[in-house]
Amino acid sequence: MITHDTILGISTILYLALFFLYVLYFAAGKKAILTIAWYCLLLTFALQTAGIGLRWVESYRLGMGHAPLSNYYESLIFFSWSISVLVMVMRKRLFPVITFAAATASLALMAYASLSPGVERGIQPLIPALQSNWLHVHVITCFLAYAAFVVSFTCGGLYFFESRGIVPPGRTLEDINYRSIIIGFSMLTSGILTGAVWAHYAWGSYWSWDPKETWSLITWIVYALILHLRFTGGWRGRKTAFLSIIGFASVVITYFGVNFFLAGLHSYAT
Amino acid sequence: MTATKNNREKEGAPASRPTSLLRHLASVRLGIVSLSLIGATSILGTVIKQGGTEEEYLSLYSERAYHFIKLFGFDDTYHSPWFYFLLILFTVNLIACTVRRIRTLTAEKGRTARTPADVKGLVAAGSGFTAKAGSLGEVSRRLGASSYRKKELSETTALYEKGSLARYGVVVIHASILAVLLGGLVGILGGDRGFIVLRVGETTQAAVKRERGRPPVPLGFTVRCKDFTISLYPGGQPKEYASDIEILDMAGKVVKTGRIKVNEPLSYNGVRLYQSSYGTSNSYTFRVNGKEVVLAEQEVAKAGRTPFMVVRYAAQVHDFGPGVMVAYMDGEEPKTLWFLRDVERMRTRVIQGSRISLEGITGGYYTGLEVSRDPGVPVVLAGFALMLVGLYINFFTFHRRIYVVSDGAAIHVGGVASRNREGFLEELHKLSKDLA
Ligand code: HEM
Repeated sequence: MITHDTILGISTILYLALFFLYVLYFAAGKKAILTIAWYCLLLTFALQTAGIGLRWVESYRLGMGHAPLSNYYESLIFFSWSISVLVMVMRKRLFPVITFAAATASLALMAYASLSPGVERGIQPLIPALQSNWLHVHVITCFLAYAAFVVSFTCGGLYFFESRGIVPPGRTLEDINYRSIIIGFSMLTSGILTGAVWAHYAWGSYWSWDPKETWSLITWIVYALILHLRFTGGWRGRKTAFLSIIGFASVVITYFGVNFFLAGLHSYAT
Repeated sequence: MTATKNNREKEGAPASRPTSLLRHLASVRLGIVSLSLIGATSILGTVIKQGGTEEEYLSLYSERAYHFIKLFGFDDTYHSPWFYFLLILFTVNLIACTVRRIRTLTAEKGRTARTPADVKGLVAAGSGFTAKAGSLGEVSRRLGASSYRKKELSETTALYEKGSLARYGVVVIHASILAVLLGGLVGILGGDRGFIVLRVGETTQAAVKRERGRPPVPLGFTVRCKDFTISLYPGGQPKEYASDIEILDMAGKVVKTGRIKVNEPLSYNGVRLYQSSYGTSNSYTFRVNGKEVVLAEQEVAKAGRTPFMVVRYAAQVHDFGPGVMVAYMDGEEPKTLWFLRDVERMRTRVIQGSRISLEGITGGYYTGLEVSRDPGVPVVLAGFALMLVGLYINFFTFHRRIYVVSDGAAIHVGGVASRNREGFLEELHKLSKDLA
């Protein structure tokens, strides 16, 4: 009987294959490799989706059925999955080097999830506070936002490299960066709002300044600042590239930092 | 677009004092500064411990640092005066900025209607095309089919417009933030929170405040816990817990009953009750001189003349099973004695001449309910909905204008889009191909 572990394991290996396909493309420059890489990504994503689905089914068999969005391990896998969703949504605009960076991020998350000794991989029962349909909307919107910010961060980082060979021109990076910030900002807003509505039902208060909440607000403010500085201050180029790196640092603190360093209501991850 | 905006701000006669102040209040720069400060100071509250006791702070920080924290209210950052000041500054700025934005929008509207764009210039810039004169009707039909609205600007010029709502997206977003802030304010001024703990069968008419030394909040009705149930996962973790609650009015009549679960609060008269926690509180059955007495923890009973009570419960006393520590008064002097339920020799003891035996220990649950009254919630929720709508129309719809000029021999079609230029050019290109 195939379990979700096996399927997720295979998809991790496929992400690794994808990584090497892109490396090969950058070395050889053959267009055909890109086509293969694209189908490889589709296959990887399909398997990953199946793995997540199977874990869902298995949780029912264990008598604690719930969507696999509830502990740290599951969130890492879902983060990786969301990045691939975003790459597929934005495929028309992306460049090989950005898809490569995104696939590498997916690979890193999958590898960390399945190899780190600090990550509890078993299916765990869902505590009553998490038993809500808001969990699904909240987690999905937040992770799509994080995924969009991964793309934005990639563009911001690449901006500081000379536009040569595999690095797209600055204006293009700027444009993709802006588009991903729009998606990320809208999704993060939805994520924070659904989280607040959920908190209202679960804890009786839509906002409690818990560290994770606060950091998500800080992240939201950073991206709002980027939008304003861009739109009304006319900031472009290095400045916005730098700001999108700051924004992503805030995302990393919101997602990883808070779990490890700051206690709070959201510390489901430890 | 940015350039024109900046120019517009700088244009005009030197502003008089009050309008200049207003201008500063409405400036995006102030918005950026206040928002940055709110963000930066929010970080402090996540790294400095919030709402701790003096001892907790002194065990974490030096005495000097503690005084500093106290002085600036960093122990309750998000409710400190200066944080409120930043929020107010931000709110005022956002109001001013929104008012100004609405003004420019209405002014702009008049202007675009009056002055048609330089269509030939647009065509030359690649944002348009020229077609046969005969295709005028076809253009009209095509654009109408993709829900453009038509407006005749002159005999020879027509304007087709779509997504003009997109221009109001920003206003909607900003207004929604104001709504959320307003809802928060209503909650602070008109709301109240508290906590109640009930054992099965118990009632209460007030909620306890979490802050030390505050009087309890009267509910205006009576809450009775009829039952508390809990189900566990095979591994022993709680799966679901729920309280069956009865609400009685002041005359003692039951006005509402319901079951409160985590994520499923019960609301009555604007007050919401949330399942928040639970615990066990035992009751102990003693036989005192042949008479049965049931005691809760800390409850006092008499053995002859001597008062005694259970002060501590232990599920395992060494290897001897459950036991309780009983305190009693020996004259003026308090004394304690352990009773073990499962050890014959330790089950029955004599206190001041009275024979007391521990007959049984039964577990009873208590339920912990969070109580909140927050009249601001509907406003906040409306703000949330508005914000999502605003984001959608601002980012995912865009304002397009297509001017069609016919000069007898040919028609010139030129378009402008507020964003997503590439997508718009594709649309124009398709239109020109269909007309060719
Ligand atoms: C948390 C607070 C805020 C949020 C979430 C927010 C959100 C937004 C968004 C999403 C846009 C559209 C940007 C784009 O289309 O690229 C925008 C534009 C703008 N915002 Fe804000 N905003 C906030 C606070 C402020 C404040 C305090 C001001 C005050 C001066 C302000 C002034 C503006 C202006 C002038 C624009 C450009 C509008 C235009 O001309 O089209 N915003 N804002």
